[in-house]
Formats: sequence, structure tokens, C-alpha cells
Amino acid sequence: MGYFADRRLATAVFLALKLGRPLLLEGDPGVGKTELAKALSQLLGRELIRLQCYDGLELREALYEWNHAAQLIHMRAAQNRASSEELEKEVYQAKYLVRRPLLRAIETPRPGAVLLIDEVDRADEPFEAFLLEYLGEYQVTIPELGTIRARATPLTLLTSNRTRDLNEAVKRRCLFHWLDFPDRDRELTILNSKVPEAPEGLTEQVALFVSRLRSQPFADAFQRRPGLAESVEWAKALVALDTLVLDPEVVQTTAGVLFKHREDVAALTPMLDKLLAPEPAH
Amino acid sequence: MLGDARSGKLPENLLGFGRMLRRAGLPIDSSRMTLAVRAVELVGVERRGDLKAALEAVLVSRSQDREVFDQLFEALFRNPELAKQLMSQLLPKAQGQTPPTARKPRAQEALTVPPPPSAHQKRAQEHEVKWDAAMSMGGGERLKNADFSSLSASELKLVEQLVRRIPMQMPTTQSRRSRAGGRGGRLDWPGSTQQAMTCGGEWVDLRWRQRRRVPLPLLLLVDISGSMERYARLLLAFLHHATADVPRAVYCFGSRLSDLNEAFRLRDADLMFEQANVIIRDYASGTRLAASLETLREQHRRQLVGRRTVVLMVTDGLDMGRPERLERELDWLKAQTRRILWLNPLLRYEGYEPLAAGAQVLSKKVHASLPIHNLTHLEALAGSIQRLMRQA
Repeated sequence: MGYFADRRLATAVFLALKLGRPLLLEGDPGVGKTELAKALSQLLGRELIRLQCYDGLELREALYEWNHAAQLIHMRAAQNRASSEELEKEVYQAKYLVRRPLLRAIETPRPGAVLLIDEVDRADEPFEAFLLEYLGEYQVTIPELGTIRARATPLTLLTSNRTRDLNEAVKRRCLFHWLDFPDRDRELTILNSKVPEAPEGLTEQVALFVSRLRSQPFADAFQRRPGLAESVEWAKALVALDTLVLDPEVVQTTAGVLFKHREDVAALTPMLDKLLAPEPAH
Repeated sequence: MLGDARSGKLPENLLGFGRMLRRAGLPIDSSRMTLAVRAVELVGVERRGDLKAALEAVLVSRSQDREVFDQLFEALFRNPELAKQLMSQLLPKAQGQTPPTARKPRAQEALTVPPPPSAHQKRAQEHEVKWDAAMSMGGGERLKNADFSSLSASELKLVEQLVRRIPMQMPTTQSRRSRAGGRGGRLDWPGSTQQAMTCGGEWVDLRWRQRRRVPLPLLLLVDISGSMERYARLLLAFLHHATADVPRAVYCFGSRLSDLNEAFRLRDADLMFEQANVIIRDYASGTRLAASLETLREQHRRQLVGRRTVVLMVTDGLDMGRPERLERELDWLKAQTRRILWLNPLLRYEGYEPLAAGAQVLSKKVHASLPIHNLTHLEALAGSIQRLMRQA
């Protein structure tokens, strides 16, 4: 599937499936949280349903909304023949329901969906509270229709970049996994699979360079360490520039792929020699 | 210890492990433990890596707990002797040796027998204001735990009264969430449809929604260095009480930055002080504002919410560092936040020149500042904070 999980992550996913619990993934940006959901949906042959969270995300964007225009038309047509009770029953039918990600995940028949609730830390606390019913019981309540239970337990993944701490109640319902940056060998494997056209020597250099960047004493100099996503992009950029070997000049011209802060790019320059030094022979 | 799983002792052993984790501060309840037992049954105990990953997925829920979990798991797994010893220590009567150090303090504490509650004594003595120590950073950093005593009944009453009498108008902003009601704004479709239903399908009365207002997140930076020593306690008590309903992050600083968030999460002021005493290691020391801001930038930048945070600084600006550095850090803070408010208790010694530099930088960079001349009354302080908040 092009996703290289270590055994720790595999165990966590296995448990999430077997125990039917949502899995909360935390980690630095660009370590492959969202990618995991995509890979799992492919692997398991389940539909991927994605809910991107943002501040002020509301019920009607996450769960359901009534199709008011259709309801209005129905009301007009039925106005003269139906009493108000009948009208109400007719207007609040499931067919006038606009299904949003959570409801779609719940209604997906076997084998169920993969639901990705992405960057849940961006949503506000009321939204977290609203998620509790879903996370705990895999059910949602629509006042006009009643409670809808999941037909098949959706594999639910939540991701968080930890811009704030999530509520304990949400965490209690989830399994937790912290995604670390991959070690150098794994990164090399990933680079080789994602950027197969890159020359072998180059990917090795990239993997070494990036893993040095993320470790001491270099990491502290940067506001944000480049993630896996950045190193893949960087390898692609280097290939596009027909680079065969990393040298200080090419690193500086492409630093914008790795770093998104001016200060970080500036901090990189004095360290280049050390970062590019060949590995001491064992 | 966990290796005994096949002989049917698994739940028992896991429970012991869970208790230990809980003592180390991990939030683990009985449903978690049940889940852990099921997880271990699924994964098996043959492969240690798998077992660890499974337990970690179930029992850990915060990234900061991972290290503690790691150490406790390793301690139990690698050294069955130690594990045996630990198990005996878990029994109340046994008096075991303390295990070797070099673990995280929290892990260490969880591995040792908790001291009986009577051993915990509060020290409640007043400290003289040490002006000299505050003025010179000198050779070594003078470290001292804070010793805030708990509030006396009259003090608590005073704080509560002030909070009631001088209500803070916390700055608010429009939330993206809406509430039903009012006229104009956004049409409330579900509400209007329901209303129409009661009128036989006629849209007689339209319903509207208004955007809600929510308080802006607050970042409190409180100076507890020598010159502020006398006021720190009541100031913290007041801020703790007055900003209880607002999303807030709290740090205090002297020669370093201390994270008081966990302490402030405790509702009770005395418990807050008790915890603050443990956390604050640089009480009544010199002031290194720039270095403290740097720590904030490096370690706690996530506390600043998308340029919406209002920063309230209470400091006399007696920064010992270089002014350029302070300027740089303030520039960064300013770029990340909506407002920086500075409450300046004028405690400066007359004629002590280098000290003014920090204050000058501050007054140049902050959005609003308010000096108060007489900080002897909490009331004056509360009033000033209130006035400052209005300018946010």
C-alpha cells in the first residue's frame, strides 16, 4: 500500500479493529497520520470518509442537515391535503436528510467504513462533546428520527497536532498512539517507494540529512522540524533539478521545501557543513 | 511479572501495573484496565514489543506520559527481581529498598512507597523581601522553592469579594458558533421549517441565528522574582479566581519560566498554591524576562491560539538580560498574539539605571500598559487589571 508501519503502530491498529475502539493518532505534522487512514482504507477495502475539522465546525457539517429546499417544496405541494401532524411526518423523512461524514460512516454497510476525523484539535470543545456519543457507542441521535446505530463498526481514526489538549472524555474512549518520526532505515524505504526515480545515492543522502536535522544538536535550532512529508517532497524536488549528490548550494536553493519559516532557513546555513558531512566509517 | 500471564495471573499482574501507572499520574480507570486485559489476551505475551505496544495504546493517552510508561514497563520487564521487590512494596506493610535513580521523578515516585500523609507538612512562614538578591543576578542562580502558605479565611474572603465587586470584563470575540434568536444575521432554516409546520406549512415567522461571543484565550505571565515576592501570592490568588471561567494559560517567571497550568486547573486556591510551591523553583530570584519568553517560544508555543490570545504580563520589567534579546522575544510574542497588556507595579529602585532598559523595551512593544504606584492593596491591583482589560 506504500505505507510502512512499524510493529508498534501495527499493534495499535490491530487492537483498534479487534476492540472496536477509535484510535487517536498524535504526532508532529508530516509523520503520516492522515496517510495511515488512506492506506488502511485501501488495505481493508473499506470506503474512506473524511471529516476535516476546523474551528466552529457544526452539527450540520459533521452529521446531518435537512434539505430545506426540498422540504419547502414538499410542504407547498402537500399544504392543502394534509393536516399539520401528517405534514410534519412527511417533511421529516430520511429522504430529505443530507448525510454528512459521521452519518455516512454509520450507515455504511459491512465491512464498514474508515472514518478519518482529521485534526480534531482544530475543532472547538463543543464539537468534542458532541463526538462523545459517536465515539463511545457508534451511534448518533437525530431528534426527528431517533437514534441511528452503526450497521458495522467503522474503523475510526482521529488525528491531532496537539495545538491544544483534547478533552479527557474523548481520550478515554480512544486508543492512543504517538507517531514518531521514522528512523533512518524506514525513511529510506519510504523515500525509495515514494520517489523511485531518485538515484540511490541521493535518497540515502536525503535520509541521512533529514534524520540529522531532526536529532540533536541541530533540531533545537529550528522552530519546526521537517516531517516525512517534507522529506518526500524534497527528494522529488531534487530529482526535478537533476541532482545526483547533495551539496551546500543545492540544499540552500531547495531549503524552502523543508522549512516554512524564514528563520529556519537562515538557521540552516551555518550548519550545512556538519549536516552534509559523510558518515564516519564504523 | 507480566510473564506469568499463562498461569492465570494476568489480570492480577496487570492491575498492579495499572495501579503503578496511576500513581505516576496516568489517568487510568477500571474500564481502561478491563480493556488492557482484553488487549493482552488478543496480542499475547510472547513478544515483548507487541505486549508493550498494546499496553501503551490502551493505557497511555497523553504524549507526555509515554516516557513514564516506558520506564515503568522496562523496570518491570527487565528485572524480575526488582519487580518482585516492587510488588512487595505495593503491600502496605513491606519496607523495601528504594530502586536505583535516574528515572523520571514521576516514575521514581510511583515506584516507591507513598509517604504517609502526616509526613507532609506545610511551612507557613513569611519571607523577608530580599532586595539585594533581586537586584543582582550575581554568580550563581539562586534557586528557591516558593513557599506560598495557604490563604487564611479572611484573605480568601477578600479575594472572593474583590472578584465579585470588581468584575473583569474579559475581551471577547465573535465565535463561529451561533445561537438561535434575534433578528437579522443568518436565517435559522431548521427553526423556521419547524415554525412553518405549526402554521400549516406557511412561512409566517422567520427564525434567525446570531453569532455567539466567546472570551478570548488569556495568557498570564506573572513575575515572581525578588522584587515582586511580596505580592506574588495574593496576585496569583486573585488571578486564579478572577479568570476561572476564561480559557487561560498561566506561567510565572523569575530567572526561568514555570508552567502553572496544572496548578491553576485546580479549583481550590490552597491546592493551587500547594502545587505551585512544588513547581516554582526560582522564587524570589532575579528576573530574566527574555530568557523566560524564549522558553515560552520554544516549549509552549502551542498555548498561543491563532493570534487570538490576549497576554497579561505583570512585571516590573527589571530584566537582567540584554535589551535587544528582550526586544526580539517581544516581537515574536506580539506577532503571535492579539494584545499584550502590561501591568507595571513601579517597584524600581530610584537611580538603578540598567534596570530601566527592560522596562523601556516593554513600554515600546506592548499594546497597552498601566503603571500602578501603590501595590500595597490588592484592591488597587484588581482595579488596575480591570482597567487594563478594558483596553484589550
